[in-house]
Amino acid sequence: MSQPNGTSRPVVQLRKIHKSFGANHVLKGIDLTVGQGQHVVIFGPSGSGKSTLLRTANLLETPDSGSVWFEGKEYGAGIEGEDLPRGKARLLRQQIGMVFQQFNLFPHITALDNVALALRRVKRIKRDEAEHKAATYLDRVGLLDKLGAFPSQLSGGQQQRVAIARSLVMEPKVMLFDEPTSALDPELVGEVLAVMRDLAESGMTMVVVTHEMGFAREAGDLNIFMDEGVVVETGGRELYDHAREPRTRAFLQAIL
Amino acid sequence: MNPFLVIPVLAQARFRPEFIWENRDVFLGGVRLTVFIAIVAFALATVLGLGVALLRMSKNRLVAPIMAAYINIFRAIPLLVFVVFVYYGIAIQFDVRISAIQAGILVLTLQYSAWLGEIFRGGIQAVSDGQTQAALSVGMSRPQTFFRVVLPQAIRIVIPPTGNMFIGMIKDSSLVFIIGVPELFRVSSVMANRTFRYFEVYLGAVIFYLILTTAAYFGVKYLEKRFALVDVLTTRVRSPLARRRGVRLRMIQEAVASERESKSSGTATAL
Repeated sequence: MSQPNGTSRPVVQLRKIHKSFGANHVLKGIDLTVGQGQHVVIFGPSGSGKSTLLRTANLLETPDSGSVWFEGKEYGAGIEGEDLPRGKARLLRQQIGMVFQQFNLFPHITALDNVALALRRVKRIKRDEAEHKAATYLDRVGLLDKLGAFPSQLSGGQQQRVAIARSLVMEPKVMLFDEPTSALDPELVGEVLAVMRDLAESGMTMVVVTHEMGFAREAGDLNIFMDEGVVVETGGRELYDHAREPRTRAFLQAIL
Repeated sequence: MNPFLVIPVLAQARFRPEFIWENRDVFLGGVRLTVFIAIVAFALATVLGLGVALLRMSKNRLVAPIMAAYINIFRAIPLLVFVVFVYYGIAIQFDVRISAIQAGILVLTLQYSAWLGEIFRGGIQAVSDGQTQAALSVGMSRPQTFFRVVLPQAIRIVIPPTGNMFIGMIKDSSLVFIIGVPELFRVSSVMANRTFRYFEVYLGAVIFYLILTTAAYFGVKYLEKRFALVDVLTTRVRSPLARRRGVRLRMIQEAVASERESKSSGTATAL
């Protein structure tokens, strides 16, 4: 499951991403290439821009400048001097799944409908088929018995597993995880990480922003330390024990 | 004979509660028009209010302030003044051919669209931004996101305050009496002035308004219950629709479970 950095076929490529919120320059020209089947872990202090970077990959955050390349097409604002045709954000998002820190399940519909909604409305699959497929994915995350439950009736860990199923059911080529376990009680982190491990083993391309260093060490093929809107250091698994940059070392020491 | 002397004399007459019952047809005629005005004006105000709310949230630098002004103006004019102004001040003066009932409905609609617009905006904005992001992240369009994810949640939030507004509408519809619309209050006051049975007549009006607003209250409660979220698999449900949904979900569950089983037993024999 581990490809060395950069040898596999690229799936997503972020180029020269800049983003500011008012006077706050959050991303300062980030480049990132994610290869097929690669598991990328992004870590760093809060406010370093890692979540914003992740969200530009499916254009939930539109970069001020910079380009998102995905499967042969360019998306996003673009780079000055380049004149390439731009794809629609919606089409990009249909092929990239995202899991949020706060789960963001739709509270007014059941777990089953949460998973089936996009199948029916985006892929226009008929109700019977969509619900059956949704149930299969809920089964995959171990929640077949919770089909009829509403999000408020589920624990945080269960909600996050439904959210993962909701993304997976669209059969994305890449999955983005934005601190998927940070909002969970400690005893519920394990069940979500277990699902993520399964997914990693199945060969899914993943980009994960996380503070779970245990997961990062075992799954991270490419590990990226970000601080103040720039990539400070990247590396393979050895990064966690042999960081070159003092800033990386200081951060790792503080959290391990 | 001084006609003013008649009033105290009659007022001392014995209280006759049956007077209300005897004149029920007059009251009910007024009730019918009150209900008609309230429902029509409220329905129009709901549609208009949703538009007001959406435009008020527009990012357009021209539209949002115009809608803010719309809300402030129509909310600020006293309803009674507004009714008189539109009907006598505009319709009669400039010979605009609208009936008193139409004028009344127009005024109620405009004022309530401003109130409802603010309620709806609050409801829509109360739905967290994460909901929109999650919907977009699975590839839904902006309109799909609004109608499938944001609006259904906003509706649940605004049912109680909107119900309050409907009860307010029933009461406020009495103000169109001033332009001669024969709704409940108008027919009551005409009856009172004719019969001098002020106590009985206005008691009757009070009772009928109470009946109307109480009915509206129970209607709102029903809606809240109707929109409540119930797990049909683990809760005893009474409605046939929910029961059928429960049966369906159970069938899906069993189908998926047996598929999983046949798959795992298949690999077991292969090994």
